[in-house]
Amino acid sequence: MPANGGTTCRFMRPRALQPPTIQLGNSGIDPAAQVPQRDIIDAQMAFFGTGCVINEQVILQDQEGVLAWVSERLAVAMRQAEDLILRDYIVSAATDLMAGGGSNGDNPTNLGVSDFSLVAATLDTNNAYKFMSGIEGMDRFGTGPVRSAYFMLSSTELQADFDGLTGSGFLNQWNYPTNASALPSEYGNVFNIRILTSSEAPVARAASANGQDVYYNTVLGKQAITHINQDGFSMNLIYRDPYYSGMLAQNATLAVKFAQAQAITQDTAIRNVLSTRLSTLGV
Amino acid sequence: MAEYSRLASGQVTSTGGQTVVVVPFIPNYIAIENVTRLVAGAGVTSASWTTDMGQGASVLSTFGTGAQYIAPVGQTSSGALTSGTGFTTIQAGLSLQYGPTTFLGGSGGIAKTSSTVLTVTTTAAHGLVPGNWVIFQNLYQTASTGMQQIAGIPFEVLTSASTTTFTIGWVGNSSNLTAITAGGLNTLASFKQILYPALYVPGVAYPWSISTSGIVTTVTTTAPHNFQVGQEIAFRIPSANGSIELNSLPDVLIPGSPKYYYVASVPTRDSFTINNLPAYTAFTVNIPFANFVGLEFAQVVAVGDVNTGGYPYTGSALYPSPAIYNGFSTSLTNTINGPAIQGAYINGTFQGFIIGAGISGTAADVIMWRAYLHDINT
Repeated sequence: MPANGGTTCRFMRPRALQPPTIQLGNSGIDPAAQVPQRDIIDAQMAFFGTGCVINEQVILQDQEGVLAWVSERLAVAMRQAEDLILRDYIVSAATDLMAGGGSNGDNPTNLGVSDFSLVAATLDTNNAYKFMSGIEGMDRFGTGPVRSAYFMLSSTELQADFDGLTGSGFLNQWNYPTNASALPSEYGNVFNIRILTSSEAPVARAASANGQDVYYNTVLGKQAITHINQDGFSMNLIYRDPYYSGMLAQNATLAVKFAQAQAITQDTAIRNVLSTRLSTLGV
Repeated sequence: MAEYSRLASGQVTSTGGQTVVVVPFIPNYIAIENVTRLVAGAGVTSASWTTDMGQGASVLSTFGTGAQYIAPVGQTSSGALTSGTGFTTIQAGLSLQYGPTTFLGGSGGIAKTSSTVLTVTTTAAHGLVPGNWVIFQNLYQTASTGMQQIAGIPFEVLTSASTTTFTIGWVGNSSNLTAITAGGLNTLASFKQILYPALYVPGVAYPWSISTSGIVTTVTTTAPHNFQVGQEIAFRIPSANGSIELNSLPDVLIPGSPKYYYVASVPTRDSFTINNLPAYTAFTVNIPFANFVGLEFAQVVAVGDVNTGGYPYTGSALYPSPAIYNGFSTSLTNTINGPAIQGAYINGTFQGFIIGAGISGTAADVIMWRAYLHDINT
């Protein structure tokens, strides 16, 4: 979002016009005009930041270069915050689809292969764009072709459940004909869904109908969501010398600050597939 | 004031239970004076807390009594005071956080009160106030009857007539619901408070009633929707609920083009109206118990807005920030944002502290508060 552009980022998405499928006939009279319309999506920018106060004696005497490693930790905290904010926004704003193809008798159930079919069919029907084209089969042992696919963002806690679907639809990414296009966090695929796993994926603990953990598996097409930065404000690492801290100049500060907004730009191209888990968790 | 301390003060209206105060830091000292209780000459007139006491603790003064102490949960308080009902600091920054599981208990249940209300009874005090959000689990009366059809849906507490009862909005007389009563499996039934249900708004809401009179259709949701007049919304209604004609897709007239509607008015925090909807099959939430496994819930989602202006000036702050129902009371609460277009996606995260039920007096009490974060705490 450009500087001096206000607090709220506005997106305009044109609506489809009705296709002219009725013939003009021979009356010589034009059909009534259509009114072009756009959907308007607004998102307000929000600002975030955190920092540390470091006494000059630490900077002076610590043998490990404290400013360097604190800077690294602040950078990680900031990037983590970006992900968590986007994650929680999607949890709150995207449509839920309850898994029903599993066998554990809960609501939602654990993920069954039919749930992957259902959500892919839903997004296909909604004309969502897939992220990845398919991978053609090759003459390599243990591999199989991979369909063009949407991404699904899931919890690492579901990996055992995915493994349990091997043979009935799940293909680990090491069984792709080539994993050149696989992302580092990619666990595998089921039909038209390629699964990325993270330990920070959203989980609602003990929240299912039967009191089990509920996982938010976000499946999305390319046009579903946007992440908005403020121009020149995507990340600021701010160091203030102890000189600015008081009459004896004892304390330095090191901080990060950033601005972020997010919006679902096409609500029909995203679904949170809610599921429970079949496998037990390790400790 | 020293270099890194934080000082804040203000006033808040008590909910009669947990009352939230938003401040831009986590305090390590809090003090309150309840002006209404001081004038009335009854109840808790003042209270204070330092971080070393622990979460949920407080020193308090009740009119006509000396100083007393509320301890954190699990520790011993003065007299009959309930531990854990003092001050608590909060960071409302991450979703999907819940309070402890509260079982309805041996004498608890859920009564089919009316066509608009279910009444929940707990054995122990539930600790909720109107405006809080909850979700239910294990709503079995027997292995094959009960109210599992509503388990997992977020509900707002509408009223709380006593410390052991509260109501939620639903078609309470649905024939497929079986009341949860003492005996049977009722002791397994439970709920949890959703601690921060509105960190990002507007979002998904769950309708339990859609009805049309003339050109006006009223949609009633289980919890505050935080939609604005001019909000553009889409329905996601499973076939079991009937009104699939309202769904955004498929679109018969313009294939692939989602059908959206605009909020015409917001009569209450849990309802909104739309004008001139197309004809639709009657909406129902009367789903058989046996179908709860994998049951889809009807949803309505915000997809945009047609507004241009910000939130209106109401006589106090200039350029008001968006105001939302944040799960702590039945009143609108200003967020800590700057001004925004009404209906925009906004961030509702915040931090501050909660004045607990043991020290917050009665509903509508005026409480003066001070919150400090000291430079040093040893």
